[in-house]
Amino acid sequence: MTCTEFERVLPDIIGGDRSFAQEQHLRSCSACSSLVADLNAISQQARSLQACEEPSPRVWNSIEIALRREGLIRQPSARALATVHTFPSRWRTAWLLPVAAALLVAAGIVRYERRGGETIAQQPPTATLASNHLPSVEATDTADDQQLLQAVAEKSPALKSAYEANLRNVNSYIRDAEESVKNNPNDEEAQQYLSNAYEQRAMLYEMALDRTLQ
Amino acid sequence: MLSSHRAANLVVVVGLVGVVLAAAETRKDYHFKVGRHASISILNQYGPVSVKAGARKEVIVTAILHSDKVEVDQDQRGSRVTLLSHLLPGADATTGLVEYQVLVPADASVTLHSATGPLHVEKLHGDVILEGSTANVDVRDLTDGHVHVKTLNGPVTLTNVVDGHVEITSLSGDVVLNAVSGPLVEVNSNSGKINYDGDFGGEGEYSLTSHTGDIEATAPGDASIDVTARSEQGRVVSDFSLQPKHTSFPIRAGSAFAGTVGKAASSVRLFSFSGKIHLKKRQTN
Repeated sequence: MTCTEFERVLPDIIGGDRSFAQEQHLRSCSACSSLVADLNAISQQARSLQACEEPSPRVWNSIEIALRREGLIRQPSARALATVHTFPSRWRTAWLLPVAAALLVAAGIVRYERRGGETIAQQPPTATLASNHLPSVEATDTADDQQLLQAVAEKSPALKSAYEANLRNVNSYIRDAEESVKNNPNDEEAQQYLSNAYEQRAMLYEMALDRTLQ
Repeated sequence: MLSSHRAANLVVVVGLVGVVLAAAETRKDYHFKVGRHASISILNQYGPVSVKAGARKEVIVTAILHSDKVEVDQDQRGSRVTLLSHLLPGADATTGLVEYQVLVPADASVTLHSATGPLHVEKLHGDVILEGSTANVDVRDLTDGHVHVKTLNGPVTLTNVVDGHVEITSLSGDVVLNAVSGPLVEVNSNSGKINYDGDFGGEGEYSLTSHTGDIEATAPGDASIDVTARSEQGRVVSDFSLQPKHTSFPIRAGSAFAGTVGKAASSVRLFSFSGKIHLKKRQTN
């Protein structure tokens, strides 16, 4: 059995029975055996995720958009389905990367949400989600902000003031949201403010480091 | 006599400047054959990008380069087309400027990046991703696709976007949504104002949140919504008579309200930290 033949029957093998020829090929081919091991690991992760709380549609949406943007997936079409077997060899297993990344991201989010929930339940009322899981603005290295502004100033001096003002606003939002979570640790909306504020900060950094946006 | 002579000189000088400027501009046309659900990506640091629906299997790009300090790099892999404004040493916001006018198949997915913009997209039903620092973003007449917009302080306007998954993050740019509906409409703003005028249709989830920016939402009297609004420090007002509902937080008059209108098919969440919130009932003539 060749690697190509083996990969053709790969979907049936994962979590199912293997023929003698397939077992023999797996023993003799390190590439295919490592591929099967990876797929089994992903499959197990996926099963454990089923039991977890479903992440919000927004999470899946973001993953989908990111993969689509990278060109790793696109909207299904009859043509695409018809040509799926004509991918060049190096693309045969390329889909594993985004799938694994997506599963890891989802697993991380679910774990974070679970930890967040447990922490809120176990901590005294004055404890904060923010202080347990997210660094406060004061705690974060403000040198990062300075470094960022320096980088913006070097590439696009005209945009420095805009970045500076927005960074100040975002940090103020984080401080307000942290204070709100501190005062009302069980308030879901306060946690949402905090999440939004950090999302804004991440976006600002992403834009500042994106050459086409400066 | 002297003044007419001066005027004539002025005309000549202006004419010469115009000729020089026109000569510095270069127009380039590109044609790409693509299949269904093509993906078009344009990264243009300085200058506008306008994308409209055109022929079914072709992408037509007109690029006007404002100097020889910038080039357009193009790449096509199957139905995936990428154009990049490649700045050469010494290029700045003026000399690096490129204007793009693009016609794509209506089902194409479009990704646009530009620091200055403006970015304009219309009449598509594929996914649209737009990012710009100060870019003015204008999106209209879109159906079905995902619409993701990120700006720093560029204002964002969406008009007639139906059945879309809309996600907008703008830090200080105002966000205006006219006739926008779909399963998910989400705006995350910092100091920019959010203005929604539509019907909150599509049995969707609508979430408009800001830090200090005011939020104003206008809906028809017969809207079908389950609405929650709250501002920690700003004033909150509703023109609707709401059927009360339970909330996870205490309702303080003037700073929060929650309730349903009609069959409450769509969920509407209006949250601001210190901005004012006003849910308006559209006046019918």
